[in-house]
Amino acid sequence: MDLGISALNYVSSIKNGEFTVEEFTSKSLERISQVDEKLHAFLRVNDLAIKNAREIDTKIKSNQNVGKCYGMPISVKDNMCIEGSKTTCASKVLENFIAPYTSTVISKLNSEDAIIIGKTNMDEFAMGLSTEYSAYGPSRNPWNIDYVPGGSSGGSGVSVSANECIASLGSDTGGSIRNPASFCSVVGLKPTYGLVSRYGLVSYANSIEQIGPMTKTVEDSAFLLNIISGIDSNDNTTVDNKNQDYLNNIDAGISGKKIGIVTEMTNSEGLSTDVLNATNDAVKTFEKLGANCEQVSLQMIPYTVAAYYTITSTEAGSNLARYDNIRYGYEFDSSGFEFNSYISQARSKLGPEVIRRMILGGFVPSAGHAGKYFLKALKVKSKLIAEINHVFEKFDFLISPTVPIQPFKFGEKIQDPVSFMMIDFNTVTANLTGIPAISVPYKITNGLPIGIQIMANRLEEHSLLQTAYALEKTVDLPEVPV
Amino acid sequence: MVTEEEISNVAKLMKIDLEDHTAHIKRVQKMLEYFDILDNANVESEEITVQETDLDKLRDDKHNPYDKNLLKFLKSYQGKYVKAPKLN
Repeated sequence: MDLGISALNYVSSIKNGEFTVEEFTSKSLERISQVDEKLHAFLRVNDLAIKNAREIDTKIKSNQNVGKCYGMPISVKDNMCIEGSKTTCASKVLENFIAPYTSTVISKLNSEDAIIIGKTNMDEFAMGLSTEYSAYGPSRNPWNIDYVPGGSSGGSGVSVSANECIASLGSDTGGSIRNPASFCSVVGLKPTYGLVSRYGLVSYANSIEQIGPMTKTVEDSAFLLNIISGIDSNDNTTVDNKNQDYLNNIDAGISGKKIGIVTEMTNSEGLSTDVLNATNDAVKTFEKLGANCEQVSLQMIPYTVAAYYTITSTEAGSNLARYDNIRYGYEFDSSGFEFNSYISQARSKLGPEVIRRMILGGFVPSAGHAGKYFLKALKVKSKLIAEINHVFEKFDFLISPTVPIQPFKFGEKIQDPVSFMMIDFNTVTANLTGIPAISVPYKITNGLPIGIQIMANRLEEHSLLQTAYALEKTVDLPEVPV
Repeated sequence: MVTEEEISNVAKLMKIDLEDHTAHIKRVQKMLEYFDILDNANVESEEITVQETDLDKLRDDKHNPYDKNLLKFLKSYQGKYVKAPKLN
């Protein structure tokens, strides 16, 4: 039994009776117990997984209706709620938080008979890009465990890459799906803002974050997007996608398509030569496939990282105000405390990056500073949206490296806050403008992965996935060495 | 440049106790310093666009009680009320 098979191959193998759901699930759990001590992709594994697998096997045997996932093990980032079980956001503040309801994406997966195999590690409250900010210790890159797996959905990326599960759900506020997808050599899709419901996702920066799939193949991302997308009355930012089938004609090719190579993302200061070479190579591949590639410049891009951190910190400052030890993070009795000191005691359980973002989030929109920071950031966002709209009148897609650098060693980047922020340089544009973006594994250089990012106009996931599929079919990557 | 004192003040307003957190302040200061780049964006005349949602798109204004699930994890409550420390 090959634990590295794609979701689509898993489904056909189950249908053909090559193995049972229970067999595959128990093999996956065995794999987790073998490698996860080293990789730390999971914060918790689902104790009921085998029981769920048996139930689905019974359904299959007795010819009942079985959901599209046929019991495939899927991991979920630990910021999506499942009723009655822990959701910690990798924070000590939520160490004992039991979710009172289930998020829409998980309800949808459950109704298609997926098995939620476990909850994955992340940077605390999704603030970070390496999992080094998890309060429970970092995850490790399966390509080389001395290196970070990317983040914040780092555990999700590792779990898929290391064949601990078939697929995963991550969330992406500034690159948190695409960055670990690139670093772990898996496919990661950040959908259009509003395509996937955020109901039951613990809020960080509501105006730009999205849930999306992390998978072994582009087809698998289309498969999962078919399941999790669509309108939800519990999230009024969701849009009706008319049940679009993203798998349909995924092999249509990209002949005649116009692709813009984003100049600012391919000549930035921090861009590594290996990553640039891989990107140039991908451009040539696209041209061979019949696409027309040319440079395109977006003037606002140099300001996007500052705008992104300003806007997200502001929203985080407000969202995290709820961790006050009164409604969440109940630790000690209220008697004998004065109100402010009681709350600040509780906040001392928040990790360093979360504390800093809260302070930033209080500062940048405050009276006297909003004009210089927050309002200016919103104006950059508006102008960037106008630029993107204009660019997509001429181009079908934009491409860039997903991350300007390859995975780095633990502790190597975290000391300098500004160069750490710049690692988000290529990913934040899609979040600020709400457009979909995907990272496709493209190369392994010096034993570490490089991903290519493709962006499309709002709600153009169907053609975006076709393009990603075309690129994916040209590459042949080695097996993960773990 | 934004002073450490200004940042400490905001931290206090956010109810974040920073007695032993000077390293945080320095790091926040560095990040804010980087945000100065926004001054070069030349966007003063730009309009801020906001997302609009039609009222008829909103879900029914119905109360979904979760009290039972939530209250059982509270340490300090009375009936349906959460107990908080007194405000001075």
